[in-house]
Amino acid sequence: MSTPAAELHANLAPEESAIASGERLAGAMRGFAREVGALSALRLESCIHCGICAEACHFYIATEDPKYTPILKVEPFKQVFKREASAFAPIYRWLGLKRDVTVAELEEWQHLLYESCNLCGRCSLICPMGIDVAALIEQARRGMFEAGLAPKELYEKAARQKRTGQPEETTEPYREKLLAIGRQFGVSIPLDAPQADVMLTVSRTDIEQYPKAVASLARVMAHLKVPCTFRSDGLIAENYGYYAGSRDWQRDISRRLIDQAIACQAKVLIVPECGHAYSALRWQAAELYGAPLPFKVRHITEYVADALDEGKLELRAADAGATAFHDPCMLVRKAGVMEAPRKIMRALGILPTEMTHHIGFDYCCGGGGGVVDIERAAKLRYRAMENKLREIDDTMARTFLTSCSDCRRTFDDAKRHFDWEKTPQSLLELVADHLQEQIR
Amino acid sequence: MTVDLVNFARGPALKAAFIIFFIGVVWRLVNVLLLKHTRDLSEPRRGVAASLLGGLKAIGSRSWPHPEFIPRTGAGEALGYSYHIGLFIVILFFAPHVAFFGSFVGLHWPSLPNSVNTIISVITFTLLLAVLFRRVTHRVLRRLSNFDDYFSWFVVTLVIVTGLMATAHVGGPYPTVLGLHILSFDLLLIWFPLGKLMHAFYLFPTRAIDGYLLTRRGAPS
Amino acid sequence: MPELDSQPTIGALLDRNGVSRRAFMKYCTAMASVLAMPPLAGRAMAEQLRAAHRPSVIYLSFQECTGCLESLTRSFAPSIESLIFNVISLDYDDTLMAAAGHQAEEARDQAMKANYGKYLLVVDGSVPTGEGGVYNCAAGRTALDILTDCARGAAAIVCVGTCSSFGGIPFANPNPTGARPVSDIIGDKPIINVSGCPPIPEVITGTLLQYVTLGRVPELDAHRRPTVFFGNTIHDRCYRRPFYDRGQFAKTFDDEGARSGWCLYELGCKGPTTYNACATVKWNDGVSFPIETGHPCLGCAEPNFWDAGSFYSPIPTPRWGKAGEVRPAEAAELAIGAAAAGAVIGAGSVLLAKHRTQRLQTPGQDSQQDSPKKEV
Repeated sequence: MSTPAAELHANLAPEESAIASGERLAGAMRGFAREVGALSALRLESCIHCGICAEACHFYIATEDPKYTPILKVEPFKQVFKREASAFAPIYRWLGLKRDVTVAELEEWQHLLYESCNLCGRCSLICPMGIDVAALIEQARRGMFEAGLAPKELYEKAARQKRTGQPEETTEPYREKLLAIGRQFGVSIPLDAPQADVMLTVSRTDIEQYPKAVASLARVMAHLKVPCTFRSDGLIAENYGYYAGSRDWQRDISRRLIDQAIACQAKVLIVPECGHAYSALRWQAAELYGAPLPFKVRHITEYVADALDEGKLELRAADAGATAFHDPCMLVRKAGVMEAPRKIMRALGILPTEMTHHIGFDYCCGGGGGVVDIERAAKLRYRAMENKLREIDDTMARTFLTSCSDCRRTFDDAKRHFDWEKTPQSLLELVADHLQEQIR
Repeated sequence: MTVDLVNFARGPALKAAFIIFFIGVVWRLVNVLLLKHTRDLSEPRRGVAASLLGGLKAIGSRSWPHPEFIPRTGAGEALGYSYHIGLFIVILFFAPHVAFFGSFVGLHWPSLPNSVNTIISVITFTLLLAVLFRRVTHRVLRRLSNFDDYFSWFVVTLVIVTGLMATAHVGGPYPTVLGLHILSFDLLLIWFPLGKLMHAFYLFPTRAIDGYLLTRRGAPS
Repeated sequence: MPELDSQPTIGALLDRNGVSRRAFMKYCTAMASVLAMPPLAGRAMAEQLRAAHRPSVIYLSFQECTGCLESLTRSFAPSIESLIFNVISLDYDDTLMAAAGHQAEEARDQAMKANYGKYLLVVDGSVPTGEGGVYNCAAGRTALDILTDCARGAAAIVCVGTCSSFGGIPFANPNPTGARPVSDIIGDKPIINVSGCPPIPEVITGTLLQYVTLGRVPELDAHRRPTVFFGNTIHDRCYRRPFYDRGQFAKTFDDEGARSGWCLYELGCKGPTTYNACATVKWNDGVSFPIETGHPCLGCAEPNFWDAGSFYSPIPTPRWGKAGEVRPAEAAELAIGAAAAGAVIGAGSVLLAKHRTQRLQTPGQDSQQDSPKKEV
């Protein structure tokens, strides 16, 4: 018979498990305090408890359980802010109007912050006050990480990635796997060139599960005849430090890629089909690095769309029929890569069937934010995914495309679980399969 | 039953409430403003001008949900906005209120007939009751709500109730009920900076900043 | 003066003075109607009055302008003559009586002695209490002293005018004479306040008549004013009310609205908070009343009407300015001052917040040591 405490510790990494209660609390306070600033303060103060954010969250919609209300997920962070740093904080403390956060609460909130949130940002879009709730959840995770309460799967991957560059230990280092994929698909893999205009990165999920996507990346870049390279010491695009909520490890993991890009004097760093990798690098890395990045960050779909616009690339028509595009949250809704995938689809002769009125409003696949990596979260994730699968089915599209390997992985998992008839296709693979030789 | 209560309510009580209101509001705003700012060093997708425009646009556009969200949230938001609109109409266009607020700013504007104000007040009061009912029965709101939510509701409703009572000559001699009405407004002024009524000020910077940052990224806002 | 019981009844007096029963009945019916009594009350009143002996009335005037007495003398129903000669026995009034000096004072003392416990004391003017009450003396005695003395044997006291009812104008800021209303000084006698500055003539006489007819104090409101006259606000009976309800206001004394007879709320009318009969009984035998002439109601029947703000500022006007009503410049000044204070305090709280968050980020520091921890 497992107690809540035992259950909790089963879900923590050994280093986290070892942390004493008092230390845990101090860690949370440390993490939260670091996140207090004018912007987070403004957001936390603005909440009017209207409950509308719940209506955007697919975890709430699927379960009708009010504990999944997005703003409620940041309650420990809000409480600490109000008690320590708000305008009336001294009065709150003196009169005992806001109590301290407790370890029990933090432990209870682990499920809410990591397992029931994809950081998808729908709640941020619906909030009538304009609060970026997803951003607050990211910040709250940082407090949880310091408290040693990040789920073990995310913690261990983050720790390893910070140390070695790989989130998982593999028999063959990814460098070797990458070269093997090149040989398997008959495409050249530029590796460790001392200097290149474009630095390429690769998605670990693609290396493990969708090697064709990796090959497609190399093939497209080769077709474009752009001087580019992968770098062994900065290969993996994902950032588990971001998922785990470790500010420092997120920075260190991004740093690896930044240093490599600088080393090869790249002007552009390309993020392959991955959502959060793009967000982390394009929108968050500079602040953690402390200076503007000396190169541009582009998602492969942006790069390809730009190439199409500039006439550097032509594509053959693809026979795809009615095709929907699943917007990876971290790429589209949160990071603004809205038009590029559609441009590519139109260049492929495909008319995109939109799932929603506006681009970027569809449901999250359910796997984002690290949720697909957490075993314990699977049950809840499947419930939330029903909304997404229904949304895709409702488009009546025959196929659907996406441009994020984790979304793909999540959909494939759903396919197995629900016996769903659709399969997610990679937009990049489709591009690579329909490259048109340009007649000069 | 004298005007003494009215004189107190619009005299020393109002002065104290006025002072507390301004001190409190600015205190809260400054406290947020002067905490640490982080500069966004990332390469923007849209320029500063476009982002600023996006920020300004968001102040208005966030007032109504995007079409994708309306099925789930339209009714609740409509309810909330309706009573706000009712309150604004009565507050700004009832003749005695025009005299009251107008004297602070040295301005004068036309008022609506009393019958219109009475009808709108009654509707607004009914909506406020509906809103309370919703907060107490809706599973999310029940979970979220705290003292601030209920007391802010009470303070606002008290003003409108005493106002209606005064007009209807119910609950005591008119000067006494009028005095209570003005006192309840003083209470509203005092409570304003202490609770969530501050959202009236916060909504501008929060929506604007969110709009700015999202537009800068080229993301939907 | 011999005891009143050996005096002729009111009926006998009326007959002697040639007032027909018919005329008297008409008069009583009219009065009953003004007093909002039931239809047959007029007859009952007439019979009761005819059989009654005229009560003795002692009228004292203190710190007053004589306006109330002037108003009383303008009464049409009953006329002052009719009142004095037929209905009451006005045994002392230092303004109206023929006697003066010691004879006048003696007449009063005798009347009081002869009717001890039964006479009606009517007072106008406030009573100064400062410096031992020297600010109003007659025959070497302070008003305070005279009042206390005369009140002892009175059956009831009728305060005519806002000064005796509530202190009135002498009571207004800074009240240099220490003026007080009668009710602040006499606590053990029934008091009827007929307030107004001055009260409507028929309201004064009607109240006296009501007392004589009923033989007791009539129904009074919280300020001890007869509800039959002071039960409604001017606003609730004002003929210009439809304009208020429609939102048509005169903005100046000479604009289109003023000339069209629109509501005077924005010109400072205190009608909504003033209880009196001006809008129904009116003045000069029902000819007009201030609002009808185009001037806003001053609220003169209410306590502290003089200190309640400018006559020309509407009721809701905020009143904490140096000169009473708040000027926009004053309000702006206070707002800016308070905002500045708020900014300073806010800067202080931010420093505190930064200090605390800094401490929390320093490893090894346990910030919970200095605050009570409430475990859930």
